[in-house]
Amino acid sequence: MRGRRVFVTGLGFVSPHGEDPAAMFERICLGESAIRMVRSGTPEMGAHVLLASIEFEPGDRINKVDRLFMARAAQMAVVATRNALEDSGLMAEGRGPEKAAVFMGCGLGGAEVLQHSYSTYFERHTRRGRPTTVPMIMASGPASQVCMQFGIYGPAHTYSIACASSSVAIGEGFRSIRDGYADVVIAGGAEAMLNDGSVAAWEAVGVIAKEHTEGAGTSCRPFDLERTGLVLGEGAATLILESEERATARGAECLAEIVGFGASSDAHKLTEPSVDGQERAIRNALEDAGLPADAVGYINAHATGTPAGDLVEIEAVKRAFGAAAQAVAISSTKSMHGHLVGASGALECGISALALHERRIPPTANLTVPDPACDLDCVPGVGRDAPDLEVALSNSFAFGGSNATLVLRRA
Amino acid sequence: MTPYAFLAETLAEKYEVDRDAISPEATLTELGLDSLTIVELLFDVEDEFDIEVPEERATFETLAEAAALVEELVQAKGA
Repeated sequence: MRGRRVFVTGLGFVSPHGEDPAAMFERICLGESAIRMVRSGTPEMGAHVLLASIEFEPGDRINKVDRLFMARAAQMAVVATRNALEDSGLMAEGRGPEKAAVFMGCGLGGAEVLQHSYSTYFERHTRRGRPTTVPMIMASGPASQVCMQFGIYGPAHTYSIACASSSVAIGEGFRSIRDGYADVVIAGGAEAMLNDGSVAAWEAVGVIAKEHTEGAGTSCRPFDLERTGLVLGEGAATLILESEERATARGAECLAEIVGFGASSDAHKLTEPSVDGQERAIRNALEDAGLPADAVGYINAHATGTPAGDLVEIEAVKRAFGAAAQAVAISSTKSMHGHLVGASGALECGISALALHERRIPPTANLTVPDPACDLDCVPGVGRDAPDLEVALSNSFAFGGSNATLVLRRA
Repeated sequence: MTPYAFLAETLAEKYEVDRDAISPEATLTELGLDSLTIVELLFDVEDEFDIEVPEERATFETLAEAAALVEELVQAKGA
């Protein structure tokens, strides 16, 4: 189905590689890891864990009183959105475009607030929790806060689909403009679940990377024979999407065009990915874009660095792309910024937009001993110039078997 | 710190209420606090003075009334 064209006219980040898009992209292209070994949790129960955490300080960008009602994820969403609105030129006197719609992805919501409320219940033996607890925990907090902070009166939708959350948010936001329901969409995602209770729960899944002998920063190794798992990150990313008519009328700079979105379900296992499901998402996205696989020059892979997951994605790409798989560059930037779960799709879609704009393909860091089974062009080590790059895919494949692929074209 | 002093200081510091507007006669609503924020402030007070404000007693409007209630609950606790 063809409708109106949709352009990315602004990008905003709160990422493990900082907030400035150009500096962030440069560091990622150089293969610089933001992953560190961090002491997490209480003195009694805590541990040293690998994380891509952020020293986040909203400063005067969020009113101090407003902050009392925002979990960390919501604060990050607000700052990333502020950055994106400023980047797009759509911010006027602290207000965004009031008719915009908001499409946000978030996996868990106010994770640290949930942890605190339970610890109050169990440790202080009281039912009396803070009245702000519920509005801070809810996964839709980031979307609501974005509306309140910037005076946005359109619909605000939250997609909570684990690791695919913000890719679906961007995809649905794209469709909303394409199909004529909105002219401007603030699309993105936020996640901040590095509180130790959440991290411990992740450890129990058995998918967290072990520290690599070459140093903590090299521990996330997608497509590498020595990969042992994923590293959790946190942050937020926001894309400003605009209809072609609106972007052209105001002379906006277009960073990329969103041209397709495909989703699918594995209907298989909660944590075991399926080649079939992922292949369907990629095929659906390319069909939606009306593009053949050989038009794609770069895939920002979901690849988290788990032994099983990376292989399944490689296989899905091979099946969906056929012979074109041998020519496409595919990299996992999670090797450097970690897995931002509900925010990962938005961050990686933003990185893909920058890759198209700069015509530069970011690498898979720490890929020194390639897994022979991951025998595609996985861009090891450092990024590379790609003067002919026109189309990129961004994959997000979630626990629960929810798959989402976005297709972007150079603007 | 007396309950009134704590209330005044918390309102100014945490809730960014204009210090000039803070007086014993001022009501919390006049100072710009909505219902959720008032309950949040009550929790600050409970934490500071290690008391629990029974829901049926939270009928104060002015700062002086709130401070008097806290003082009463603190004394009752010590008794």
